[in-house]
Amino acid sequence: MLGIIVEKEIRDLLGSTKFAITFAACAVLVLLAFYVGAARHNLHQARYEASQTENLRSMKGISDWQELDEIRIFLPPQPLESLVSGVSNDINRTAIVRGRGDIPTEDSRYNEDPVFAIFRFIDLEFIFKVVLSLFAILLGYDAISGEKERGTLRLSFANSLPRRTYIAGKLIGAFLGLTVSLMVTIALGILILPLMGIVLSGQEWIKLILVIITGLLYFGVFLTLSIFISSLTYRSANSFLISLAVWVMCIYIIPGVSVLMAARSVEVPSSDEIAYKKSTLGIQLAEEFDEGMNHFAVKGSADPEELMSQLNSYIDSLNDVRDMKMQSLSSRLNEDRSNRRQTQENLAFNLARISPATSLSLATSHLAGTSLTLKNRFADQSREYQRAFGEFMLEKTGMNTGGMIKLRTSKSCGGGDDKEDEEPQPINTEELPKPMMSSFTFAESVNPALTDIAILIIYNFVFFAGAFIAFLRYDLR
Amino acid sequence: MTKDLIDNTLPALEATNLTKKYEDGVLALDKVSFSVNRGEIFVMLGGNGAGKTTAINIFLNFIEPTSGEAKINGIVSHREPLRAKQHIAFVSENVMLYPNFTALQNLDFFARLGGKQDLTRDELQAVLLRVGLQEEVHHKRLKGFSKGMRQKCGIAIAIVKDASAILLDEPTSGLDPKAGRDFVELLKTLRDENKAILMSTHDIFRAREIADTVAIMDRGKIIMQQAAGELAGKDLENLYMQYMAGSNNHTTNTTGGVNAGHNS
Amino acid sequence: MLPTLINKELKAVILSPKFTGTFIVCTILILLSIYAGLTEYKESVRRYDAASQLVSQELQHQTTWARLHTKAYRAPDPMQIFVSGLEYDIGRWSPVSSQSTAKLKNSVYSDDSIYALFRVVDFTFIVQFVLTLFAILFTYNAVCGEREDGTLRLVFSSPVSRAQYLIAKCAGAWLGLVVPISIPILLGMLLVLLSGVPITADHWLRIGLLTGISLLLFTFFIVLGVFISLLTRRTSLSLMVALVVWVLFALIIPRAGVMFAGNMVDVPSVAEIEGQINGYSKDRWEEFYLGMEDRFAKMHGSEGEGIEMSEEKMWELMQAEDSLRKFVTEEINRYDLRLREDLRQRKNRQEKLALTLARLSPASSYQIGAMSLAGTSLDVKTRYEESINEYRNQFVKYADQMQAETGDLAGRMISMEVSDSSSNFTMSSSRDKKALDLSGLPRFDPPRVGLADAMAPAVTDFGILAIYIILTFMGAFIAFLRYDLR
Repeated sequence: MLGIIVEKEIRDLLGSTKFAITFAACAVLVLLAFYVGAARHNLHQARYEASQTENLRSMKGISDWQELDEIRIFLPPQPLESLVSGVSNDINRTAIVRGRGDIPTEDSRYNEDPVFAIFRFIDLEFIFKVVLSLFAILLGYDAISGEKERGTLRLSFANSLPRRTYIAGKLIGAFLGLTVSLMVTIALGILILPLMGIVLSGQEWIKLILVIITGLLYFGVFLTLSIFISSLTYRSANSFLISLAVWVMCIYIIPGVSVLMAARSVEVPSSDEIAYKKSTLGIQLAEEFDEGMNHFAVKGSADPEELMSQLNSYIDSLNDVRDMKMQSLSSRLNEDRSNRRQTQENLAFNLARISPATSLSLATSHLAGTSLTLKNRFADQSREYQRAFGEFMLEKTGMNTGGMIKLRTSKSCGGGDDKEDEEPQPINTEELPKPMMSSFTFAESVNPALTDIAILIIYNFVFFAGAFIAFLRYDLR
Repeated sequence: MTKDLIDNTLPALEATNLTKKYEDGVLALDKVSFSVNRGEIFVMLGGNGAGKTTAINIFLNFIEPTSGEAKINGIVSHREPLRAKQHIAFVSENVMLYPNFTALQNLDFFARLGGKQDLTRDELQAVLLRVGLQEEVHHKRLKGFSKGMRQKCGIAIAIVKDASAILLDEPTSGLDPKAGRDFVELLKTLRDENKAILMSTHDIFRAREIADTVAIMDRGKIIMQQAAGELAGKDLENLYMQYMAGSNNHTTNTTGGVNAGHNS
Repeated sequence: MLPTLINKELKAVILSPKFTGTFIVCTILILLSIYAGLTEYKESVRRYDAASQLVSQELQHQTTWARLHTKAYRAPDPMQIFVSGLEYDIGRWSPVSSQSTAKLKNSVYSDDSIYALFRVVDFTFIVQFVLTLFAILFTYNAVCGEREDGTLRLVFSSPVSRAQYLIAKCAGAWLGLVVPISIPILLGMLLVLLSGVPITADHWLRIGLLTGISLLLFTFFIVLGVFISLLTRRTSLSLMVALVVWVLFALIIPRAGVMFAGNMVDVPSVAEIEGQINGYSKDRWEEFYLGMEDRFAKMHGSEGEGIEMSEEKMWELMQAEDSLRKFVTEEINRYDLRLREDLRQRKNRQEKLALTLARLSPASSYQIGAMSLAGTSLDVKTRYEESINEYRNQFVKYADQMQAETGDLAGRMISMEVSDSSSNFTMSSSRDKKALDLSGLPRFDPPRVGLADAMAPAVTDFGILAIYIILTFMGAFIAFLRYDLR
């Protein structure tokens, strides 16, 4: 019996004009999302590479490692970033690394090209979150009330047909029919990726598939939700309006309001305050530094070269002291800020998870490596690089960068022992340590996404059960 | 699903003291009793809100009776609805069906719901032909069907189930004369196949034409019930008007109205 | 005849069961969005005030004119209550010093990326996505619904012309929807008025125009719904078509247009440009050091006696170093500005194309117009960077002047006296050092958008929306002339 209903449901859906129109629209949009994603990925990759080359080229003329006081490192585009942008367009993607001290970042994509920020990008996550959920509602809102209006509900129940079989068949049929046809479109879309020259590793393929499964689960939530609403109402027009209002709430209102509420209830010190505290300490430390410089005393012989190296290491040690003090303040401030920030984020997410759209965003952005953790990771990687760069510079020049004073040893004179005119050799940038910008490991991406995937599954079950129970009490007349 | 063995000695449809009071206090059925035997066409005649559809809905277990019971082959409909419904087929007033399905697909689906899982396409087409749907429309979607054609599909669905009782809720309303005529003929052949047929209508002429028994209903009561034989030679329309007028005058005592009608 | 018809349409809208629910939802959302905008604005003001305070305190702590630096913050504007636009996407401040040119950094979204994940929902957002959706929901069955109900034939059995009927349809729906929607909008304005946010007459005018353009967009979707109801015979189909069209107009075309333009016009990234600037500046500094070495060698030579040099000579050298350093800095800044200006030009082309393409959709035309009116549009960035650069010039000029007066120098003098047994080491940055007197330092005055500046670009979008409405109405009219009334 269940089979008959499922079969009928699938046929009825797939044969309807409604399905033809939505499916065509879906197909176009999904293909568009993949195409645009691939194109953007290539563009971002090209830009990233251009920035890197330009950055290296800018060091070419330098003949002395001392000249190199800072290095810019760039956040490479994540492989799935163009399909699920997350915060990747909002966070700063350039870090300015010196041997010590804070690492300022700049150049978020939207700050750089605000024109894209006006409407934001089309990505697969957006298509799932907004468009496909709307279509799910459109395909599900008259599931029960529509049959009632057509009279087929009475006709079907003139047979010895248990209600639970009917509603289960209806839900399963709608779910199978729609997700399978969506999967076909998405599979076509995925084909675009290799055609456009996007190479994904095995793990990335799995992540992409998980993203799609999450999207389908989310689609299922809205489908079962609209069937649930349909089994609570007797007129399909009402059912549609209610579903639509719920949709607007879930997609746009609940997440935004949750973040605002979390922001009100957990105070996080602004970046300005932190910058100010650091800057004040910085000025104070600079004075201490000047003071310290006056206590330099030469030990041993007064050979100028020896003197220079003594001075160098003296300055370096002063800088280290200064950096240590700054670091202790800055880590204290940052820790406090990031703790509060974490509390705020957790509160915001938990509030926002009332809406399945939040779970979709969180899960897919974790899977694609474009969640809020991307920012922290970039900061960590920059710090790691700073260490490597600092050690490198110390080895090359005997002095780390990012200090107060840059000593430059004159080659022609000053040192006293003029060497013969040697053409200065340009530095070999190949020797520089390479930033380790590994993307997230499989576990790092998948584990945090599991909660939200589970939430989506639970939502599916809840609305499924809701539709089920509501239908058992449905007035069939 | 296996069909129950039917006890042929029981009436196919039987209502005993069927009462339905809705939540809003309306008394839709008030201790209505009647029975329909195999090979009998029982027509409920009455205006809108007389309780005809409520009675059918109780047989179909779409609503539960407040008291009394509706039995199908002796099975109480609201106690064992799934068993009871194996033995009835239903044709509603305005059969919409699935507009995106062809006539054949609609029939196939409902046949299988009715427990006829393994009918061949030829068998299904034979039923469609029998109700007067020509071969060329069998593969057309229901969207483009006229009301009469849809009604034929509806009766085909009822026939294909091969149930012992058929319930029809205002099946002829809005049909053109030819379609109405065909419909009546079809019902007659079904009666000849020993089906019990319960039909509600407000079409007096149609009722007179096919009924073996006519029951006039008003405000939840059967105010008159006569066999076709008793009705022979009487003007049913006149009778109906008289009973209705009587029932209106004696709202508190409808049985009096019946008697009054009889006497006149 | 027309008033009778309009009256009937009005009643049909207001008495329809969906009206109450929709009206309540819209009211809540509009008020919520304005309330959220209000709190966000207050938060921005608080943040801005705190930041300004910090900026002046930071200035107080500085000890040398030569390396005087500060920050210029973008100031919040009450219009962002209604139209947040690019407010949170664009950097909030720019460093101001002789060393660098204006560059807005650290947007709210990059600092607090959680807001970026779920963007701020503002009034324009509600208009663009919620009101338009509801407008289309009220009109998608305007004509085909009446046909299905059979009332269409009935109406046309009386002497009613098709034009009259169509005008009545649109006018009735317009009155029935626009008037109720105006109520929460007015309530929202009252909320703003009561909140004590300083709003000038100029702002009120802009808010009025914003309401106007919002209603214009709303009108477009009403007419569009009627038009769609004329293209199809069945309401179920027309609902589908209406929603697909809505998805295209509200969600897809704006984004697709902008992205298409992004791929059409190739613009190098800022990081790339900055790489070039860095390269240039490294070359220049290399030159600078070599030049200084030369000078030192020459001086040294003229002195002619080993390493020792008189203190006076040393100061002279530092003076020379300082002016050369300034010269190099300015050269680098000029190069920097030129490259950025070049990039700006290319971006302008890209942006122009993007906005033109996006305007294929009335919803994005509305968004662009509303942002222009509110002054939170693309030109915020240019406007601020230009005015910060101007301020920087004043700032640097003043600092230079003060430096000249006080004899402050950027370089430091290190003198060492080394003997066999002991050494003396001193370092100083100026001959006599005193606290900085900042009273004359120019302050950054955030640029305000004039009414005319805000309105000029918005006029285009008013025009575009009007044209869209007229075209759609004409389309509806033609479709109705050929509509089968049966």
